[in-house]
Amino acid sequence: MTPHAWRRLMDDRPAVLAAAVLTTAAVVSLLAPWLAPYDPTVQPDPVALRLIGPSVQHPFGTDPFSRDVFSRVLYGARVSLGVAFGAMLLSVSLGAALGALAAVLGGWVDLAISALVDILIAMPRLLVVIALVATFGTLSPWWLVALIGGSGWLTTARIVRGEFRDHLNRDYVLAARALGATRWRIVWQHLLPAVAPQIAVAAALALAAVIPLEAALSFVGLGIQPPLPSWGNILLDGTDYLTSAWWLVVFPVGAVTMTVSAALVLADRLRVAIAGEERAP
Amino acid sequence: MTHRIVTRLLQAAAVCAVVAGAVFVLLQCAPGDPFATALEGGDIPATVRAEWRARYGIDRPPAERFVRWAGALARGKLGYSASRHQTVAAVVSDAVPRTLLLVGTALILGFALGMGIALLQTKHHRRRIDRALGVLTLGGVAMPEFLLALLAMTWLGARWRLFPVAGIGSLGDVQAFPWWERAADGLWHLTLPASVLAVTVAARVARHQRAALLGVMHEDYIRTARAKGLAEWAVLWRHALPNAIGPVIALLGLALPSLIGGAVLIERIFGWPGMGLTLFDALLARDYPLVLAAVLLATVLAVVARTLTDFIAELVAPRRAREPL
Amino acid sequence: MTPLLSVDGLQIDVSATGDAAAKPILRDVTFAVNAGETVGLLGASGSGKTSLALALLGLLPPALSARGRALFDGHDLIAMPDHVRRGLRGRRLSMVFQEPLTALNPRLRVGAQVAEVAHAHGERDARRAMRAAVDMLDRTGLHEADARARRYPHELSGGERQRVLLAMALLLDPALLIADEPTSALDVTVQAQVLQLLCAQQRERGMALVLVSHDLGVIATTCVRTLVVHDGRVVEDAPTRQLLAAPEHPQTRALVDAVRPRRRIA
Repeated sequence: MTPHAWRRLMDDRPAVLAAAVLTTAAVVSLLAPWLAPYDPTVQPDPVALRLIGPSVQHPFGTDPFSRDVFSRVLYGARVSLGVAFGAMLLSVSLGAALGALAAVLGGWVDLAISALVDILIAMPRLLVVIALVATFGTLSPWWLVALIGGSGWLTTARIVRGEFRDHLNRDYVLAARALGATRWRIVWQHLLPAVAPQIAVAAALALAAVIPLEAALSFVGLGIQPPLPSWGNILLDGTDYLTSAWWLVVFPVGAVTMTVSAALVLADRLRVAIAGEERAP
Repeated sequence: MTHRIVTRLLQAAAVCAVVAGAVFVLLQCAPGDPFATALEGGDIPATVRAEWRARYGIDRPPAERFVRWAGALARGKLGYSASRHQTVAAVVSDAVPRTLLLVGTALILGFALGMGIALLQTKHHRRRIDRALGVLTLGGVAMPEFLLALLAMTWLGARWRLFPVAGIGSLGDVQAFPWWERAADGLWHLTLPASVLAVTVAARVARHQRAALLGVMHEDYIRTARAKGLAEWAVLWRHALPNAIGPVIALLGLALPSLIGGAVLIERIFGWPGMGLTLFDALLARDYPLVLAAVLLATVLAVVARTLTDFIAELVAPRRAREPL
Repeated sequence: MTPLLSVDGLQIDVSATGDAAAKPILRDVTFAVNAGETVGLLGASGSGKTSLALALLGLLPPALSARGRALFDGHDLIAMPDHVRRGLRGRRLSMVFQEPLTALNPRLRVGAQVAEVAHAHGERDARRAMRAAVDMLDRTGLHEADARARRYPHELSGGERQRVLLAMALLLDPALLIADEPTSALDVTVQAQVLQLLCAQQRERGMALVLVSHDLGVIATTCVRTLVVHDGRVVEDAPTRQLLAAPEHPQTRALVDAVRPRRRIA
């Protein structure tokens, strides 16, 4: 994407807003230890402070274990977004690498990778992860990142493979090869930068897919284990009290919905910007 | 055309085969074997254990076990569920139709709703209603199904008591009631879970259909249709929609795996006794054959549904109609 | 005799919020068309002539807006509400477009697309509408109209498609037909045929015809009067013969010279 396109993107209000939301979420989650008023795992007074609604001392209320929900949401952001970003980076890198390999090497490598993608894409990702978690037992957050990230490379691989193949047929690649450039040089210097915007779109979409996935897993007890907070298990801890303690539902749901919306909007605006570039560079 | 059908069927079969293989491998990796819970706790002598294991072929080499397992699978024998004290097949044959009912209803409702929203948005493009509906559909796509389910259950179910929060029926002794009362009760229990899923489907359909419709509205034949004096809704319905519907149907097929994943969670939340709930209960009980049978079936369902939607898409919007002379 | 169409001070602007001071696409357009008259709108690409035609039918893209008056049958086309204008489109006032392939819905049979005009204006009987459509296709010179009517647009040739569009426009016997570059997308041989057809239909029905084109040759063979559009304005309005003999505006002179060079080159 040209600098001109970047400037136009910065004028695009929804895109800027979405990026701001995501950046704020990331920053807040990183600064959680300094921003959170209480320790998220400490249960100060198991009886007196149970299930209080939002108040000045507890802006998001307290949960059934008397823990401050606001602090838990902040620390939960750390975990949920951490896992999400980690998994997203893993799946996008893996997908880009495999897609590039398939496109550049061609032949049976391409056939094998494409067949693998076609087969795996039919499997519900949630179920795959559940099956894996069920088999190997509950996992540390790192394993969760690996599993979730490792299951999500399919769409990125497809996109990158398609784009690479498209560019490989273009004249400038032919010219580079005529000048003696090796395949890998072409990949690094020409193809990857050309495909970078599409990969950015895929990354945003991957993020939008992974955040709910982690939340779902944590909610059913298969993801992040308590007392480590995650947006999903805040809901889990509160399952028995959801009807009376609305604050246990609304804030985690709001956090998830907000970040996912931001990721989706960003992906959408990036796509529009790319299409605009192609029409009138 | 037949060539394409055969290719698709082969592909579907390949996917199922790979999934079955993966499921088998996972079964082997699972800590303990099906007899672990039954036999380990207690003073059952080692020889008896060995005998049971030999009987069920657990001591044979993996390759042979896979062949036997696949053979049994092909004959419909999915194993035995220790937690339910039934064959897996029996458990599953009860649960699968219920999941189908849930997902099927959600798909039909969601598709119709999404289509309606998209048409409305296109007709009033750029006006407030378009933008407002756009925000709603974004929320529908962004909010994960299980969270929407929680909200629905909390408010519509528990707080306001409009709908039941769990189960498939509240009638107790089912046989004592006439069929229409049973049906009505079932429907009442179906409403919340199906609606939640339908909303997710509708939001996705609406967004894609709107994009497709707007893309088509610039075409020359739309201008011709207007020049003929056609009312705007007739232009949308007769000229824009048929040309814009193909990609949406195909996309629906691609999104089906994640829809089924979502359905699984919704069943858990609403206590709808389909494949999803079965899966979770089996997980808790470490009933691996049942877990993996559930995963296998859900995937097969997704594959079959996707192949079907691809065919429907091809029928409704054949890609060949537009070759110019 | 009151003219059939009387345009007064028509202006077309770009209504998008970007450029408030942008130059209008068309301004100070004033002319009249009498019943049964053949008028040519001559101008280079981008002169605004197509926008003029679209404005009269109320088919301007959302980025453009029209001001001024255009009296048709005594009613102002610009000011009238859209549902009233819709009643006129296809019935009293029709338009034929430039690109026959893209102007037809690729998924519907051509006969159905022609019959649709009747349905849009109140015909309930499907068979009667289809019979009228086939009849009209036959009259526009489509061979084996019955069989052709069941084909899809991509199965017909360019000339045949243009005849379909013409049949669509003429089905309800409009008082005024606007033809926007009806032959530009066609082969030269087919061009002559379609023009002939256009003239024949016009004479037969006593219909008024406004022919928009950049090609003076096309206009010279069909239109009795010609308006020259240049840079958003009508710069000449005269009988065609007079225009060819003694063009006043330099733009007109350039266009005339392109068709009939004053000095031989060889």
